[in-house]
Amino acid sequence: MASLKRSFDGDPFAANISSKVYVRSTKSGKVQKIVREVYLRQDIPCSSRLCHGCLNTAPKDAAGQAIHFVLSDAPAGTSVFPQGHYLVPDTNALLNAMDLFEQSSAFYDVIILQIVLEELRNRSLPLYNRLIGLTKSEDKRFYVFFNEFRLETHVARLDGESVNDRNDRAVRKAVAWYAQHLARTKARKIPAVVMLSNDRDNLRKARDEGLHACSLTEYVKQLKDGDRLLDLIPETEDRDAAKDKRPGEQNLYPEYFTMSKMMTGVKSGLLHQGIFNVSPYNYLEGSIRVPAFPKALLVLGRENINRAVDGDLVVVEVLPKDQWKEPSSQVIEEEAVTKNENPDAEGNEGFVSEKERKALQEDVKRTQSKTTEGHAQPTAKIVGVVKRNWRQYVGHIDQSSVSQSGQQGRKQDSVFVIPMDKKIPKIRLRTRQVAELLGKRILVTIDAWDRGSRHPSGHFVRSLGELETKAAETEALLLEYDVQYRPFPKTVLDCLPKEGHDWKVPASIEDPGWKDREDLRDLLICSIDPIGCQDIDDALHSRPLPNGNIEVGVHIADVSHFVKPNNAMDNEASIRGTTVYLVDKRIDMLPMLLGTDLCSLKPYVERYAFSVLWEMTPDADIVGARFTKSVIKSREAFSYEQAQLRVDDGSQQDDLTRSIRTLLALSRKLRQKRMDAGALSLSSPEVKVQMESETSDPIDVKTKEHLDTMSLVEEFMLLANTSVAAKIYDAFPQTAILRRHAAPPKTNFDELSNQLKVKKGLELSVESSKALADSLDACVDNSDPFFNTLVRIMATRCMMSAEYFCSGTQAYPEFRHYGLASEIYTHFTSPIRRYADLVAHRQLAAAIDYEAVHPSVRSRGRLEAVCKNINVRHRNAQLAGRASIAYYVGQALRGKATEEDGFVMKIFSNGFVVLVPRFGIESLIRLRDLADTEPQATYDAESYTLKTTGSREVTVELFQKVRVRVTDQKDETTGKRGVKMELV
Amino acid sequence: MASTQHVLLSPAELAYLHAALSLTPPIRPDGRAPAQFRPLVAETGILPGTNGSARICFADGTEAIVGVKAEVERTRLVDGATAGTEWKEGGSARGEGEDDDGGDKAGDSDWVELTVEIPGYRDDDAGTAFLAAMLSEALLADGAFAKRLWINRRFHWKLYLDVLLISPPLSYPLPLLSLTTHLALLATRLPRLKSEGDEDPFFDDDWAAARHLFPRSSSSTTKESARPPVTLLVMAVGNNIIFDPAKEELAVADVALAVSVAEDTTAAATTAATMDLDDAAAPAARSLRLLSIRTIDPPSRLTPPGVPNAANSAYGATTAQKQPEARTAEAEAVEGVWRAPRGGAKPLVMAALVQKVLEKGGVADEILDALDAVDLG
Repeated sequence: MASLKRSFDGDPFAANISSKVYVRSTKSGKVQKIVREVYLRQDIPCSSRLCHGCLNTAPKDAAGQAIHFVLSDAPAGTSVFPQGHYLVPDTNALLNAMDLFEQSSAFYDVIILQIVLEELRNRSLPLYNRLIGLTKSEDKRFYVFFNEFRLETHVARLDGESVNDRNDRAVRKAVAWYAQHLARTKARKIPAVVMLSNDRDNLRKARDEGLHACSLTEYVKQLKDGDRLLDLIPETEDRDAAKDKRPGEQNLYPEYFTMSKMMTGVKSGLLHQGIFNVSPYNYLEGSIRVPAFPKALLVLGRENINRAVDGDLVVVEVLPKDQWKEPSSQVIEEEAVTKNENPDAEGNEGFVSEKERKALQEDVKRTQSKTTEGHAQPTAKIVGVVKRNWRQYVGHIDQSSVSQSGQQGRKQDSVFVIPMDKKIPKIRLRTRQVAELLGKRILVTIDAWDRGSRHPSGHFVRSLGELETKAAETEALLLEYDVQYRPFPKTVLDCLPKEGHDWKVPASIEDPGWKDREDLRDLLICSIDPIGCQDIDDALHSRPLPNGNIEVGVHIADVSHFVKPNNAMDNEASIRGTTVYLVDKRIDMLPMLLGTDLCSLKPYVERYAFSVLWEMTPDADIVGARFTKSVIKSREAFSYEQAQLRVDDGSQQDDLTRSIRTLLALSRKLRQKRMDAGALSLSSPEVKVQMESETSDPIDVKTKEHLDTMSLVEEFMLLANTSVAAKIYDAFPQTAILRRHAAPPKTNFDELSNQLKVKKGLELSVESSKALADSLDACVDNSDPFFNTLVRIMATRCMMSAEYFCSGTQAYPEFRHYGLASEIYTHFTSPIRRYADLVAHRQLAAAIDYEAVHPSVRSRGRLEAVCKNINVRHRNAQLAGRASIAYYVGQALRGKATEEDGFVMKIFSNGFVVLVPRFGIESLIRLRDLADTEPQATYDAESYTLKTTGSREVTVELFQKVRVRVTDQKDETTGKRGVKMELV
Repeated sequence: MASTQHVLLSPAELAYLHAALSLTPPIRPDGRAPAQFRPLVAETGILPGTNGSARICFADGTEAIVGVKAEVERTRLVDGATAGTEWKEGGSARGEGEDDDGGDKAGDSDWVELTVEIPGYRDDDAGTAFLAAMLSEALLADGAFAKRLWINRRFHWKLYLDVLLISPPLSYPLPLLSLTTHLALLATRLPRLKSEGDEDPFFDDDWAAARHLFPRSSSSTTKESARPPVTLLVMAVGNNIIFDPAKEELAVADVALAVSVAEDTTAAATTAATMDLDDAAAPAARSLRLLSIRTIDPPSRLTPPGVPNAANSAYGATTAQKQPEARTAEAEAVEGVWRAPRGGAKPLVMAALVQKVLEKGGVADEILDALDAVDLG
């Protein structure tokens, strides 16, 4: 009987075939044995420019062009390899020190082996993506070598060999092959092929085999600026050694559950999974919203938080009822509590420090003094982390943690880094350049958080510059909010029209660009935007119709004409999601050429537009709506102020002004209708920073003025969005991209309505948005005109945030936009600066049969991913914008001291938060700020009153109007310049 | 199916065969000894995508392959009780001091699904279904096999055995299929479990770390070197017991039995004999345990009877006249005239047959030894 198995003797091609066997566990719980055949080949090039053999045999691309070889023919040398060298890192080297590879001073000509890339992808997706970014960058010369498919470098697993050992052997084999292969090129200077690894065993074996091999530290020391780079090597390298040193060290934190135990618990409902959020006021308190309960679970104390960092996906276990607590009414800042810790000494002062314990005691006292039961909230403890969401954090070195010796020598020293984000714990950092980094904004990452360490340990990535310089602070902000601010890559710019700024709407109506476009050039269209707006998305017109009705048109820049689905530009825009506006800077979603020129509906030139045209009665009832692609010519680009002046000036009687007046009248009626339907008028403190025109230094802060023309534009944009939402939902019931604003759970308002009842005797009814709107209108304090705004600001914070979604994921009643009291809503009117609008444009174009439906617009999975991303980006953009304003407000106030009116928004037992509407800022005033010696205080949580006695006697109540002195002050904890308020 | 297949032999040929096989020692048409198996060639691991596979070729050209696939399945819990206590018959008799893992580990016959495919026959053909039933019955008879599929109280492996005869059914394929299944199960490996307790199972993704369903003794020092059962086809002609009959031999069998035996791993533990016939097993290096016996309807019963010359009209007998005698003649045995066997197996023959199967150094022993030599890599 001939065997059915593949025989390896007779077949001449047998050596070219290998197979790979592994077990795959799917999400649904299936476990499969997978066998993959691997076809080995010999034409995979080494990609070194020294090698001519590979160049001849390497496969050509579809156009018959030889592929471009990556590795330099004269790579840089080091002190040990003066002849030049190529680097071959193993997986651990990349996992530990990706930052090193991103340096611009070294780490060129790197060979990334396929096996390493695959392993990295399994271990860490973010790192994998960063590496892919590196391999794409032309100047770094990273080459991915498919060692598993090349006959000579393929390694079959031996009997009893572990996967890791086999992979290490594959790396060594590839290194050996490269060395031999390059030796055959007969180049004058043959570069050394150096394996980088932190695995001692692997290094030893490589040296035994006669290969060049270095550990990261050894290698970096050979480089010119080695000392600086040494800091980028994370701690983990010598952790093994450190562990041996301290055998007696006890573990401070409980151990995490195994992954399978957590998943089983979550599935059976005994454990809960959610994103961990740290309270901005108290670093020892966090909350987790889980699907099983309507209210978030509290996580209190270091031990229960168990090494979770804000943003991590964690699994929690609910604690027994006797451990339930009320959320803390105290402000606890990590900096204040753990001030004098020594980063070198670990664990010798007990796990929960004396001070922390004291802070908690306060809590207990208060909870127990409570007569009313049932205020306690369920608490939970974290039993495991499913996914770390660690990113790079911006911070600065805590001056007080630096020892004297560290300031001088270049010895490695441990210091604490205090992240800018107060929710992130301080990070222990080992660095040799303490002296240089003091007083700088630096970027650090967290490497690990051991059970035996109170604080996470991390390593230095790079310095952004001096604290409080504009460049450093702006970059810090962009990094903190994960805004993509790198310039657009070439692939994106290649998607732009070749004509550049000379692009024009084709003159001939026969041109394909005119196909199905309506010619609206003769309409009196104008745009109204903030001063200095360059990316004009929208323009409007109105004209009387013969039947007495009015035609109103909203014309939106036709971005989808220029950005085709799924090309590089579209992908980049979908990642950026939105344009980010900072006080002095704008980070565009689309390249400048489109945003500020070709798409922008500039006056006096013809532009492509997507128009929504309504016929309305003079009472603003809609008779019909129509959507069309069009060509328009805007007559004028007004600023809000200009438009307002023009409308108010009775002498202006031209057609354009009259049409704006018509629009204004209609918009008032539309607004009234909306209000009657229960739309909320919400509020957030908004200010504008005035800059000096030359130096763009902030000189003054002003609250934003509200003009009628602003609500004019707003009303029509809302109307356009609603009309488009209905249309695309009609056309694509499963995949329309919409925006919803969920009704907030009633419990969100509990606190506020109780506060209003106790302090002002006002009722807040929250049954519907209409009821809420009415009761908010009724919240008036005659003595204090700002009170109503204050309540609106606080109510806004109780709301859910609006989100984009794909219509198939929600039931129709869930589409509702609570704030606008609209049944269905989307974003359509700002495609230049929001990606959602661009998608809506494509869907609308397909809905009116202007173009075929592109698969990406129809695929629900893809749209869901897009929605998820833009929701995050949108939120980050808002936060970044606000943070930027806060920074500039601080800068504008620098060196000045003013007295302003403020309002108490929130009271703790040891401080209170004051909002100053003039600057749109809020700040915490601690008891210890009131006088030199901290006054005694009694806090009455029932009546929201804080009474101080002793060194200073004041009574502070919620909603109280207070006079505060506003000065600027550098916040020691975050290194930000912010405002400091003092009670006058 | 194949057992009822008509053999194109004349009554005279049948009678001759029967006579030859009734001799002491019997003379088999292919010259084998009564307890001799047909030579076979075997290999495992022929289907890379399966958890285990095997192929066996008999010298007569019949050939079978078996593939085993395993899937994780959720165990349905009987409320109140663990699945185990429900299943075990006479669970109380086994007492509490049984093997430590036996307490909550229990299998269910639903955990194994076996399908047989014979070329030229529908898969719901009675004969095919009977073959499948016999093979899975042997596997499940003592519950020890299904127990191996236990992962934890909430999950188990579900095993799909696909048994394929790839040659035409030249002889009754039961022994071939059984041996191939046996070999495939020996080669079967299941991914290594990494999770503990009753958690959702989580497995090692390294196939090299996968465990054998039946760990071989070389790797484990414990006595746990159990093997899946084998089902042997045995027939008796007169007082002769003949193993692994060829098609022609089966055509003249007085009685044909499918006997399933397994290695008795718990020889010491089985104080109370759960099977009456188990006493034949002597405590030895390998003790065999009888799992099941099935009688198979031999095709001989359907063969037309031979007619004695005296009653044959061709030899001058007048059939019309002799009609009543002809009937009585059929009842009497006439030397050299084929007469289809009637009635069941004789108890004495049965006992001898079972004894022969289980005997130390007997056929089953020999086969298990032979299959041991097959490389399971």
